[in-house]
Amino acid sequence: MVGESMNDLDYLRLSKPQKFALKMKKFFAGLPARLLGALKGLLMWFVNLFKGIGSFICDLVTTYIHGDWKTKVSYTVMGFGSMARGQWLRGILFFVFQTVFNLYVWFFGAGYLSKLGTLGTVETVKKGRVTVYGDNSFLILLYGVLTIFFVVAFIYTWYVNVKQNKMSEKILKSGKKLKSAKDDMASLLDNQFHKTLLAIPTLGVTVFTILPIIFMILVAFTNYDNQHQPPGKLFTWVGTANFETLLASPDNKVNFDVTSTTAESAALTITAKNGDILTVNTADVAAAEAAEALTAAADTEFTMVEQADGTYQFEVFSEAGESVSFVGKDLLTVKTPSFSYTFKQVLLWTLIWAFFATFLNYFLGMLVAIMINKKGIKFKKLWRTILVMTIAIPQFISLLYVSKMFAADGLINGMLMNWGWISQPLPFWTDPTWARVTIIGINIWIGIPYLMLIATGILMNIPADLYESARIDGANAFQTYMKITLPYMLFVTGPYLLTSFTGNINNFNVIFLLSQGKPLGLDLAGNAGTTDLLITWLYKMTVTDSNYKLAAVMGILVFVVCAVINLVVYNFIPSVKNEEDFQ
Amino acid sequence: MANDMNIQEVAEKAPRLRSKKGHERRVNASIYAILIVMSIIWLCPFVFLVLQSFRGESGGQVAYVIPKQWTLDNYRFLFEGVAFSLKALVKDVPAIILTVVTNAIGVLGMVKFLTRKPKNPFEKTSGNIKGALLVFGVLLLINVMRCVDSTNCDFVQWFMNTLTIALFCAVIQTIMVLSVSYTLSRMRFKGRKLIMNVVLVLGMFPGFLTMIVLYYLLKMMGLTQAGAVPGLILISCASSGMGYYISKGFFDTIPKSLDESARIDGATRFQVFLKIIMPMAKPIVIYTILMAFMGPWGDYVFASYVAFGHKASYNVAVGLYRWVNTNDYQGYFTRFCAGGVLVAIPITVLFMALQKYYVEGVTGGAVKG
Amino acid sequence: MKKFLALVLCMMMALSLVSANAEAFSGEIKIWVAEATVEFTKAQVEAFKAANPDYANMTVVVEPVGEGDAASNMLTDVEAGADIFGFAQDQLNRLVAAGALVDVLPENAEIVAATNDAGSVSAVKMGDVMYAYPMTSDNGYFMYYDKSVVTDPTNMEAVLADCEKAGKNVYFEINSGWYQTAFFFGAGCTLTYSTDDSGNLIAMDCDYASENGVKALKSMIKLAKSPAHVNGSSASNATNLGAIIDGTWDAAAVQAILGDNYAAVKLPTIDGYQLGGFGGFKMLGVKPQTDEAKLAACDALALYLTSGEVQAARFDAVGWGPSNLEAQQSEGVKADVALSALADQLQYCVGQGQYPGEYWTLATALGDDILAEKYDAYTDEQLLEVMTTFQTTAGGYIAK
Repeated sequence: MVGESMNDLDYLRLSKPQKFALKMKKFFAGLPARLLGALKGLLMWFVNLFKGIGSFICDLVTTYIHGDWKTKVSYTVMGFGSMARGQWLRGILFFVFQTVFNLYVWFFGAGYLSKLGTLGTVETVKKGRVTVYGDNSFLILLYGVLTIFFVVAFIYTWYVNVKQNKMSEKILKSGKKLKSAKDDMASLLDNQFHKTLLAIPTLGVTVFTILPIIFMILVAFTNYDNQHQPPGKLFTWVGTANFETLLASPDNKVNFDVTSTTAESAALTITAKNGDILTVNTADVAAAEAAEALTAAADTEFTMVEQADGTYQFEVFSEAGESVSFVGKDLLTVKTPSFSYTFKQVLLWTLIWAFFATFLNYFLGMLVAIMINKKGIKFKKLWRTILVMTIAIPQFISLLYVSKMFAADGLINGMLMNWGWISQPLPFWTDPTWARVTIIGINIWIGIPYLMLIATGILMNIPADLYESARIDGANAFQTYMKITLPYMLFVTGPYLLTSFTGNINNFNVIFLLSQGKPLGLDLAGNAGTTDLLITWLYKMTVTDSNYKLAAVMGILVFVVCAVINLVVYNFIPSVKNEEDFQ
Repeated sequence: MANDMNIQEVAEKAPRLRSKKGHERRVNASIYAILIVMSIIWLCPFVFLVLQSFRGESGGQVAYVIPKQWTLDNYRFLFEGVAFSLKALVKDVPAIILTVVTNAIGVLGMVKFLTRKPKNPFEKTSGNIKGALLVFGVLLLINVMRCVDSTNCDFVQWFMNTLTIALFCAVIQTIMVLSVSYTLSRMRFKGRKLIMNVVLVLGMFPGFLTMIVLYYLLKMMGLTQAGAVPGLILISCASSGMGYYISKGFFDTIPKSLDESARIDGATRFQVFLKIIMPMAKPIVIYTILMAFMGPWGDYVFASYVAFGHKASYNVAVGLYRWVNTNDYQGYFTRFCAGGVLVAIPITVLFMALQKYYVEGVTGGAVKG
Repeated sequence: MKKFLALVLCMMMALSLVSANAEAFSGEIKIWVAEATVEFTKAQVEAFKAANPDYANMTVVVEPVGEGDAASNMLTDVEAGADIFGFAQDQLNRLVAAGALVDVLPENAEIVAATNDAGSVSAVKMGDVMYAYPMTSDNGYFMYYDKSVVTDPTNMEAVLADCEKAGKNVYFEINSGWYQTAFFFGAGCTLTYSTDDSGNLIAMDCDYASENGVKALKSMIKLAKSPAHVNGSSASNATNLGAIIDGTWDAAAVQAILGDNYAAVKLPTIDGYQLGGFGGFKMLGVKPQTDEAKLAACDALALYLTSGEVQAARFDAVGWGPSNLEAQQSEGVKADVALSALADQLQYCVGQGQYPGEYWTLATALGDDILAEKYDAYTDEQLLEVMTTFQTTAGGYIAK
């Protein structure tokens, strides 16, 4: 005990940077151990899973062997055992469920389940001018997944049925009575109350959240886009091709194409591996044509080296060892937008935006709350009310109006021009950097009232004598803030900051209503704009392009990003929590 | 000796105290200045919006704020074609049944509130006037809504649609969220941690991903186009149980000993929930109702998907967005402003009245790790 | 025996023919048209039913859905969409690819090709197949101007000078791929994409990277430099209207602003060449049907709603410029200031074909760069480089 308190005292005596360095050292030193721990945990989870499955099967077999005839029949006719032992309500419920399930699969589910592997093969044809619709891949996938859910639910219910038989046998053998229907109903309001309360929400979440998400995850592995739209066309499984499109750099075939020749020069269009298109002129016509032939015949690579006189030395070589080289001038490179580049750009802006939106609002909101809360400021309620009105007005109306205000022919530009301060309208929504700053700025306008409310609520809880003693010790406002207010706020609102950060990553409303992702970027594929977040780009892909497969991949990637951030921060926060104590 | 030192210290500090006062006044003055500027900036867009809604001359956004011609035409346009008939309450058998049932429930509720016995000897009146007034207000609202015939008036129809959705969502979502958060907070059962983790993971998927699937699910049930309003209610309420985080935080602060002593006295969990916990949870209940009510007013994306071109089932967000953004509606900008004002007023009033509960909910529940 | 059989067969054939004719459609047809024409369309449908007693029993529901919304709704869910819907030609590509349009009945296609203007006919075709019925030819643009401010509307430099002097603005949305073509097409450049019968892009024909392209680019830079220029095209946002490059949909709004000084004319010349542009069209499409009788009914109804008389009546009712050759010669159309200006301008215009979505982004980026004064000090060679980059990028969109 004495040893520990000595360490604490030593710790408190360290200066701030030393404390921080210590924390960092601890975090990174502990990192390998934590990773190892996480891996071990994963391994154990798998082992437990297999153990679980093994014991499950074991259980089933032994129950069958040791059970009486009522139990054995229950394996095929669900609910029989319960009914035979007098628990008629449970028995009927089980039996009805089994019948419904059988009917469903027989008439409806089996057909879709069988086509799940191919997602439909019968194409839509036209007989004369009348269209005869074939398979609908979308419905096949949807109902197929629904059927799989049903099957899983059925297996689980069947297992519960078997288990209940086993338990009922045990209870009867030990001489006790089984629960009657009346007991069941009563316990639903008491011991099993959680089941009652959770039944409907769970059903709602399963059908309307889990099912769609699983469906969309599966879509990410198909080629469902605007060229493969049901009911007119089919789509099918393509594996991980979509992930490659979005994540990997494009790997095109290098192609040299002679577009025009004169006696002394040839113009070439070159397709590089990463999709870039280059145009170049060369005086060596023969070499140009040889290069064209070589790239058409085999897989090639090429290099280009800039010479001192501004021309480029090109060399094309194939795997077999053939090569052609020539000197080219007037080089022009056109970067064709690729999805992987766009994805990286949009992801970067999303993270930057989330960072600024969260922390800027947080600190400014806190500042405003402190200002209003200060002793000596009157009409506290009035200031707070005015600011809070922004929350009350539906965001949709205020944002639409404000976005029109900042347009090139809108209120702000109009007023500034009328007052003669500017001559050309300010490019709020047409210049990428301006647009980004404007969005962050307007988001401050929206976000500060929320943060101010939260900060006010928390600030009121800080014991006033802490401030008193600080004042007596001669601390000025800034020191008070840094040493008392800020640490307390950070401690209490740590998790809130995290939720707010992930929330801002998915903050659709602000971007969509203000700028719709514009201005569009020339180097961005898929109609992405320079102020697009991943989620608004996803919306555009879904609604404007019907490119559901890429949208699904993006959804999965957004999830991965959020999950990673959450994991990292959750592991970081406890270390902060433990050290930061101010008693 | 200590006293001498104290007096000395005070003497040293005295001159600083005096200049501190001046310093403090300056700081306060600058803070007032900042607050005034902020208030102006914060209120500006709404003041402009209201002013623009009275603008008589045509056109979209203009460079000046005060209208040259003041007119109520924009508001008149919003209400053109609306009819009000009390007969709608009794026009056919289902309508009569609905009228009788809703009014009976309402009157019963009012009576119950008015005759409620005081909980403890310190309460003076033996009735809850506020509660009775609230029930009366809701009853009146429902009856008025049913009497309004808005088939010829777009805006009022959209407003009624949105109001209907908001009222249903407020009730149903609150029940679902409270059920889930109470269960997860109070009860320990197998699978509790699993449920919490699953909900956490599900929440990280972006919402729009599943729009198309939800559209087809609703279509399967016939709840799109003409049936868009029930469809939207279903979608909003079905997954609302996932938003239990804040309420659970609040329930966690209620001591478990209350539960236990009640159960020792023989109450079932259901009775504990209804009679003991619920009355104490008034702030969080009101907070949940408020958030659930405010949600549907801004739902543009999904509502336009589900309504699928059927104008009569648009909600306010979809309708107003069409007015301000599509080429079909030239010159509707001032009407958008008027519509926006009419939508904003009730919500703002409601929010300001219940502001206290909102603050309690957010600070109490959201920030407790 | 044989004779008897033959007689029976003949009677059966005759009966089936008769019954086929009498087998009229009596189900429901849903139509989506823009809000302004809903009442008009309903009246026309009644007239159609009166003129064709076969179809007197069918129910027709007309819903107000704007052209943009109609296209995007059909793309979301063809099955729940309308049977007949109005849309603008830029969506033709996507609608055909998504299976939302059935080809036009060959007999009807002949009638349509013979009675509508060439631009609209080519706009409804994909490859050689016709997929929709042309309805309007008024989706092009021209110039409205204030008679009291602009003295010489034939010359852009004069228009700019007049407006600068009077402190008024010239609205020209140069960062829109649609309005931008006025410069490039006027200067003699081409930019078209060709598609196959299923709507996929197969080739591009573009010569922006040329002297003409540079000429057009320089004109745009010159226009953007003028203090009178404002980048925009919506009359309701035009607070200081001297002249505006806009279309017939804004005629009422411009008239309201300018009052007696309202005037419209074809686009002026700039730097010595006449500004050109796109001709745009609206059309009615029919959704693929599974029922033969319903398909026949939809075909007949769509043909009727886009016939000459109805197009002329529609112009009288809501002012939409017809694509039907006869209707275009009517007195009402000729007297309409805006439509005459448009008709005048159309001879310099190219019918808008199919363009990939990325093209519009590319054009907006070019326009934005001009507005940001990025090219103000560029030499001709540098401008040529800019155009070459543009052309090469535009060509890259086919590879997808």
